[in-house]
Amino acid sequence: MIATLGANTVRDITNIGKFSRFFWQAMGASVRSCVKTGTYPLIWAQMNLIGVRSVPIVMVTGAFVGMILAIQAYDQLAGMGLEEHLGVLINISVVKELGPVLAAVMLAGRVGGALTAELGTMRVTEQIDAVRSMGTDPIRHLVVPRVLACLLLTPALIIYADLMGAVGGFFVGVVHLGINSWAYWNFSASGVELWDVSIGVIKGFFFGGAIAVISCYKGFTCREGAHGVGQACTEAFVASFISILALDFSLAVIFKAIYAIFWPLRSLV
Amino acid sequence: MTEADQKDKTREINKDGVLSLRNVTKKFGDNVVLDDISLSVEKGKCTVVIGPSGCGKTVLIKHLIVLLRPSSGEVYFKDRRIDNLEEKQLNRIRTHFGFLFQGGALFDSLNAAENILFPIRQHYRVTASSGIDELVKTKLAMVGLDGFQDYYPAKLSGGQRKRVALARAIALNPEVILYDEPTTGLDPIRADTINELILKLQRGLGVTSVVVTHDMKSAYKVADRIVMLHEGKILADGDAEYIRNHPNPIVQQFIKGEVSEEDLAVIRSSGIISKTQFEPRD
Repeated sequence: MIATLGANTVRDITNIGKFSRFFWQAMGASVRSCVKTGTYPLIWAQMNLIGVRSVPIVMVTGAFVGMILAIQAYDQLAGMGLEEHLGVLINISVVKELGPVLAAVMLAGRVGGALTAELGTMRVTEQIDAVRSMGTDPIRHLVVPRVLACLLLTPALIIYADLMGAVGGFFVGVVHLGINSWAYWNFSASGVELWDVSIGVIKGFFFGGAIAVISCYKGFTCREGAHGVGQACTEAFVASFISILALDFSLAVIFKAIYAIFWPLRSLV
Repeated sequence: MTEADQKDKTREINKDGVLSLRNVTKKFGDNVVLDDISLSVEKGKCTVVIGPSGCGKTVLIKHLIVLLRPSSGEVYFKDRRIDNLEEKQLNRIRTHFGFLFQGGALFDSLNAAENILFPIRQHYRVTASSGIDELVKTKLAMVGLDGFQDYYPAKLSGGQRKRVALARAIALNPEVILYDEPTTGLDPIRADTINELILKLQRGLGVTSVVVTHDMKSAYKVADRIVMLHEGKILADGDAEYIRNHPNPIVQQFIKGEVSEEDLAVIRSSGIISKTQFEPRD
C-alpha cells in the first residue's frame, strides 16, 4: 500500500512537472509568435474555428442565464417590493460571474473537447511526430495558434454572453413579468459599473488560456487508440471545468482586494 | 564467440557512418526495448533493420532522428552528438532528414500539395513567384502522383498516401531518408512500387536510407546491408547473402517466416470452440 501511494505521488508530481513545462513552453512560444507575422494565418484560422463558430452557442447560453435569473429572482424581490431592482441583480450576476463562467464552461466543452480530440488523433497517427521530424516545433505550430485564439476570443465571447444575458433578463423581466422598462434599465445603469464588466472580460483571458493549454496538453499526451483519445477528452473537460471554478474564485478574491484598495469608500455604499 | 558473431560485432562498432547509435538503451518503465545497441549507418547505402513485430524497430528508427531520446547511450549525426541537443538545435539537424511514417502521417486538413509544401514553408520564404507549383509537381511526379495535388489524404488509397508521404519526406532534399515499415499494409504490386521508389531515391539522389521492415522480399530488394533486431539486441548484421546463410536458428526462422515448434505445438494442442457451446441470441 505504501509502495502504491509512493508510486502514485511520484506519478502525480511528474505529471504536474510535465504540465508546467508544457505551459511555460506554450506561453513563451505564444509571446514570441505575437511578433512573428508568419504565425498570423494559423492564428486567424483558429480564431474562426474556435471563436466565430462558438458565437451562437455562447449567445444562447447567455440568454438563458439572464432569463432563468429573472424568473427565479422576481418572486423574492417582489415579496419585498423591490422588483424594479431586478435589472441590477440580473446584470451584475451575468457580467461578473455567471456570464463568464458559463460561457467558459460551454467553450471547455465545445472548443476544449475539439482541441483535445484533434491533437490526440494527430498524436496517435504520428502527425505530431511528423511535424517534429520536419524540423518544426509542434508547440509553435499547433499549440500557439490555439492558445492565442482562445486567449483573444474568450473575452469577446463573454461580452456576447453578457449582452444576451441582459437581453434575456430584460425580455422576461419587462416583457413577460411587466416590470417598468425605465426603472429596470435605470437601476441597472446605477448598479453595474465598468469595473464589473471589466472583471468578467479579464476573467475571460484566464479562462481561455486555461481551456486552451489544458486541452492541448491532454491532446499531446493522450494514450494510443480510440479509448485513449476519448479518455483524454473527458480528462480535458473535467480539468478545464475545475480550473475555471478555481480561477474564478481566485480572481474574485484578487479583484475584491484591488477594488478595496482603489475605491475603499465605495464598498461601504 | 563464433566467426559470425565476430563479424557482426565488427560492423556494430564501425564509427565511420553518417549516422550512429552508440550503446543505446531505451526503457519504457521496466520494459527494455533497446538493449545496448551500437549501429553505424554508412553514407549513400541502404541499411534495412528487420525483426519481428514489437522487437523495437520503430523505437530504433525514431532514435536516429531523436524523436525519442535514449535512456542511456549516444546518437551521432556526421560525428556530432545529437541526442543531448535542445529541440531548437535538433530542428535544424532534422532538416537533413526525411521520415516516412508507417501510416504516412499526412496532415488530414491539408491536401497533397499543401502537405508537400509544409516543410518547405517552415524553412523557406515562399512567394507566389518562387515556382512552388512546379516544385510540388516535380516531387509528386517523382512518386508517380502528378495530378493528385488537390487530393486530401482521406481520398487517397493506402499506397497513394505513402507515396505522397514519401514526396513530403523528400521535399527538403534530405541527405538521409528513414522509412518506417514502408510496405506494410500494401498489396504486393504497391509494395514493389514503394521498393522501386526507395531504390530510385537512393541511387538517383545518392541519399542514405534506413528502412525498418519485416517484409523480407522488400528487405532483400533494397538492402545493401541487413540488421536483425531480436529482443532489443542486434542478432545479425550483414549483406543479404550473409543474412540468408546466417547460422542462427532465430534468424533463419524469421527470414523464412516459419512458426516455431513450441508455438506450433500450442496451436495444435488448443481446442476448437464449437458452435454448440454457445446459446444462440434471440
